[in-house]
Amino acid sequence: MTAAATTAPAQPRTPRAASAVPVTAARLLWVELRHNAVPFILPLIAALLWFDSYRPSMTQPPVWALRTFWNMGQGHTIIDFGPFVAGVAAWMGSREGRRGITDLITAAARPRWITQLATWAATAIWAVGAYLVFVGVMFGAYIAQGMLGPAPWWWVAVGAVAVAAFSAAGFAVGALYPSRFAAPLAAIGSVLVLMMSSQTGFRDTSGWALILPTNSNGNYQAPSGIFYPYLPDLPIARMMLLAGITLAAVGLLGLPSRAGSRGLRRTAAVVTLAGVAMAGTAIGLTTTARLGPGGIVIPALHDAANDHQIPATPVCGHTAGIPVCLNPVYRPYLAEVSAALHPVLAELAGLPGAPARVVQVAGPYNSTEGAFDAPMAISGHPPVLRVPLDTVLLPGTSGFTSAPVPFADFAGQLQALAVHAFVGAGAGPGTLAQQAVQAALLQGAGLPFAAQPKVLSIIGVAPPPPGAPAAGAGHEAGKVSKPVYAAAQRLAARPAAARRAWLTAHLAALRSGQLTLAQLP
Amino acid sequence: MTAAGVDQARPGAAPVPPARPGAAGLRLLGLFLVSRRVPTALGVLVGLGALLWAELHWHWNVAGGPAAQRVIPLVIEAGAAAVIAVASYGPFGEPERATGRWLPWLRLASALILTGAAVGALAAGATGGYLPGGTLALVRDVAGMAGLGLLCAVALGGAFGWTGPLAYWLITESALAAGWTTPWIWPGRPPRDTGAAICAGLVFAAGLAAFTLRGARASVR
Repeated sequence: MTAAATTAPAQPRTPRAASAVPVTAARLLWVELRHNAVPFILPLIAALLWFDSYRPSMTQPPVWALRTFWNMGQGHTIIDFGPFVAGVAAWMGSREGRRGITDLITAAARPRWITQLATWAATAIWAVGAYLVFVGVMFGAYIAQGMLGPAPWWWVAVGAVAVAAFSAAGFAVGALYPSRFAAPLAAIGSVLVLMMSSQTGFRDTSGWALILPTNSNGNYQAPSGIFYPYLPDLPIARMMLLAGITLAAVGLLGLPSRAGSRGLRRTAAVVTLAGVAMAGTAIGLTTTARLGPGGIVIPALHDAANDHQIPATPVCGHTAGIPVCLNPVYRPYLAEVSAALHPVLAELAGLPGAPARVVQVAGPYNSTEGAFDAPMAISGHPPVLRVPLDTVLLPGTSGFTSAPVPFADFAGQLQALAVHAFVGAGAGPGTLAQQAVQAALLQGAGLPFAAQPKVLSIIGVAPPPPGAPAAGAGHEAGKVSKPVYAAAQRLAARPAAARRAWLTAHLAALRSGQLTLAQLP
Repeated sequence: MTAAGVDQARPGAAPVPPARPGAAGLRLLGLFLVSRRVPTALGVLVGLGALLWAELHWHWNVAGGPAAQRVIPLVIEAGAAAVIAVASYGPFGEPERATGRWLPWLRLASALILTGAAVGALAAGATGGYLPGGTLALVRDVAGMAGLGLLCAVALGGAFGWTGPLAYWLITESALAAGWTTPWIWPGRPPRDTGAAICAGLVFAAGLAAFTLRGARASVR
């Protein structure tokens, strides 16, 4: 062999050789898949997913948005997967460096960046595949328990991309710091990042922080998937961010001089820049987000077709001679809602503006994680009581309370909200006269005076304590309790016929806020 | 050519003084610690101590109740335990096991040295501000999690020993949020709680004993 042979012009690749490239790449990937470390820790991740994501979710009512609030809305499946995947990916990424074979690999037939990509791809395939399988099994268990409505698939996709991002970031840590300590450092670093993400998510209800995958503010609330479609705007932005991080981390590996040829390193630089640009664009888009009727809207990503409510044929029952209609997802609660409203509807029957029908409506989205303070409303001819059932504590187990919610508490909330709407008190506590009439009507419906302050506090319409600053015009705050309840007791003590006659005559003035406490009988 | 006579000194050479047993033992320990990357581990532990100091000094807290406020210190303690577990990984495998008569004692010494260093580094870091539970709880928590890490190293291999403390941290956070009070979730109990101290001590003793006798499992990957 002479040097002439080595300087001969390169022959064009034959068709057979060209077809061998993907075959070789597939073989390389297959080898890496068989020797990957991720399957080794999958039993541990499965156990943790059961303990931290599935088990707490079972304390929630069988409604998708509530049951998956913890594991999808607040991203606990990502917290269960991400750090472990990052740690194992760091172990895989540091393999060549730990074994001292980096030079050997650099001189091999394939550029180092390509072999690293094969190792990372195998790691990501195992991790993302396991994530999808485990979440699929969890959702299968939910469906077997009779969950209705669409599942939050967009958030599943975000989780899958997040797992890929953790694998890429961990792999880069391992490749750049080839040490046995790379794995625990990548894992612990991932935990700290996720904790900071949760902290920022709890605190910030708008702006760039909405892009954090553990932030459920304004985008994962009870009406999601039941009254309104899950808006994909924020999940798309989050996937852009996470995919950008993945690209940047993977591209970073191809920048060192021994990663491959100049052309390959140039490609790696483009991939890195594309990743950074994608992540930056996603953050920029999220800063334009606003709260729409169906959740967080990002104008550049928004599809107006998602603004419509999901059509549904309500399920109806009757109580006190009045139809009560709920969204079919809430069918299991129809009997309890009817029973809870019966005393109030019977008490109000025949009075001007008394509801002739009860229908469930969507509770409003708000900028936080959801609050139990959305009022009911009575409107239309004939009057319809509109009940936002997704903003009250449903009976039974609930992740928001330390003990199961008794039916009496649930009934008290519905009764108080219904009477509050009937006296026209709006979103606040109402005028003193409205508070007094409300107390008398609730007493007549079977909710004693002593139990009322607690219920009013739960539904967010409790009067402010004495001495508190006035809440606004029409609210005679700071002088409540004793005079109000004295007037209420007087009204409740009157014969039923006399009370109804007085109410019939004065309800219009009461609702307009013109009636004072002194004008009550 | 035979091997006969190779153990005899070259004629005219100065006699080699016999090695003192103490110095040989120290050299053996030093070589063992280096083979386990203990110097690097000590550096990482010092870094975690500095991180704890910064967290307490600048009040990097997660919003929420007492469980949430313990999140970051517990993550750092789990990190220290993970470092101890990963330092158990040995690169020599069977040859070392077959020839190392002092291996169990060397393992015991390295685990104790690293646990002591972890407690020392984090206790120094705790001077940065108020640490919930104080130093007593820190010693208990780190020791218990280090025991878990060593158990994981024996069962899964030194390379994956870090998964034990990290999994325990995740379980602890979930359990504290749910209000569990079992002593097996020792970070949730007061610093002078006997049950929690016994549980953490048992886990540490079990981890130390298993690691001393069996060593970390040879990595499967």
